[in-house]
Amino acid sequence: MRLKTFRAAGMADAMAQVRAELGPDALILNTARSANGITITAALEPEPEPPLVASPQRLTTLIWHAVPPGLHEALAYGDLPHALALVLRFGTLSLQPNESPVMLAGPPGAGKTLTTVRLATRLAMRGTPPLVVTTDGKRAGATEQLAAFARLLGIQVLVASNPVSLARALAQRRDGVPVLIDTAGTDPFDPAQAEELTHLATAAEARIALVLPAGLDPAEAADLAAAYAALGTTHLIATRLDAARRLGGVIAAAAVSGLPLTEAGIGSGAADGLVPMTAELLAALLTRCEGFNHAI
Amino acid sequence: MPSDRPRFIAIASGKGGVGKTWLAITLSHALVQAGRRVLLFDADLGLANIDVQLGIMPAFDLGAVIKGMTSLAGAVTRHELSGLDVLAGPSGSGALSGLPAASLDSLLTRLREHVADYDVVVLDLSAGIDRAVRRIAAWSDLLLVVATDEPTSLTDAYAVLKLQTLDRPDGDMRIVINQARSPAVGQQTYATLRRACAAFLNREPRLAGVVRHDLKVRDAIRHQQALLVRHPGSPAAKDVEAIVATLLQDWPRLVPPL
Repeated sequence: MRLKTFRAAGMADAMAQVRAELGPDALILNTARSANGITITAALEPEPEPPLVASPQRLTTLIWHAVPPGLHEALAYGDLPHALALVLRFGTLSLQPNESPVMLAGPPGAGKTLTTVRLATRLAMRGTPPLVVTTDGKRAGATEQLAAFARLLGIQVLVASNPVSLARALAQRRDGVPVLIDTAGTDPFDPAQAEELTHLATAAEARIALVLPAGLDPAEAADLAAAYAALGTTHLIATRLDAARRLGGVIAAAAVSGLPLTEAGIGSGAADGLVPMTAELLAALLTRCEGFNHAI
Repeated sequence: MPSDRPRFIAIASGKGGVGKTWLAITLSHALVQAGRRVLLFDADLGLANIDVQLGIMPAFDLGAVIKGMTSLAGAVTRHELSGLDVLAGPSGSGALSGLPAASLDSLLTRLREHVADYDVVVLDLSAGIDRAVRRIAAWSDLLLVVATDEPTSLTDAYAVLKLQTLDRPDGDMRIVINQARSPAVGQQTYATLRRACAAFLNREPRLAGVVRHDLKVRDAIRHQQALLVRHPGSPAAKDVEAIVATLLQDWPRLVPPL
């Protein structure tokens, strides 16, 4: 609150001073008359500040999601999107033409192929259909799943299961179109698998985006994300946000790895199931549980 | 709420130098004279004034209790002339303002566990509105906000009231106007603050009372004596006694009856 006292010979003069100094929203708190004239005390209130004391509801929400206790203090106060933005990093997965390829990596069953399809759909609808490459030649049906979507979208899918063939496949990239590389599930704690992934990424000069499903145990998710970050991963994509209810794993992964959250898998549709992740979206997903009838 | 636990009255002002510590002492003293067992907790961080104003020298503070160096009874200093028990807050490296919120909460919880023998615990908060002040204020049963008619005091008192409204929408917060030139002027000062709260916070904190400007207050502080000992019956003493009478009368749930 800005509070100021104005003195003038008459009321009109005093009021004019109030309006000139504090504007039309000023509130008159006190008016006093004396032999010398009029004294007016007026005030103006700026934007409200967020509360600094944690609401019990907020703490209940954080505990319900199994957010690591070490983050409760940082997330307990004020506006939740604002608090999330201070604790976690949020970024964008840029897929402009002529940028380096994006390699979707992650544990088996994380939703890498579906994410690849959704990103490809987004790019195709935007008028920049991408080149899609999969390095997963082993898993039964992996290529067919991608190929079926690719036919629908009218885009090209190539299979390249080793660094040499991947480099050759990327040589077919035309006019700097965006490139998406789907990969087989990788255990980042297995040195051989970790090495294979980094060799592929190096051969493709690709940015690695970790695809991590929501609903994992928070400690497990944090370990995985940190291991992927150590392999040179630069982006985090959270999937299954519609299927999982407790999101402590996603928050732990982002907080511990320091990776920016970029995309969010929030539905089943190919076109609208994946949306850019923002602090506002994550806050909305976290507070969704406040309507649940739940047992902790 | 069980009626046998002590009630916590926090006293804050935002701005320093408006008589907050003096009011905490005198209000506590008046509660003692009304027959209540009162612990006065000096949460005025690093600038502990209560001992100076009362001329006592505590050997231990709350930090020593928390560390297990002494019991609460051992850390409490009895001020014989008033019958007040005084507990100094943790000072130096253990100062409240530097504590993370979780530690502050656990410290307050432990304080609550230690004071079952008292009817009322009066907390003298430090000036300013740092996180520790906010948490203690929000954690108390009643927040008294002290203001004078100076614009800076009004603005800072308003800031405290505003934060308390956010932190404890259901909390009881009341205003004390101190150093008023007259009861009528004090009422006007209160009305100014109330209008600001009504317009900007949609809340109308009650007036706990107006304390008149009284040179006897300065005299008592200079002699390191409690006002109610040195100048009983002075105008300011009567005004504080009236505040306590109102508290005891209209809020039996806050200060349990004998």
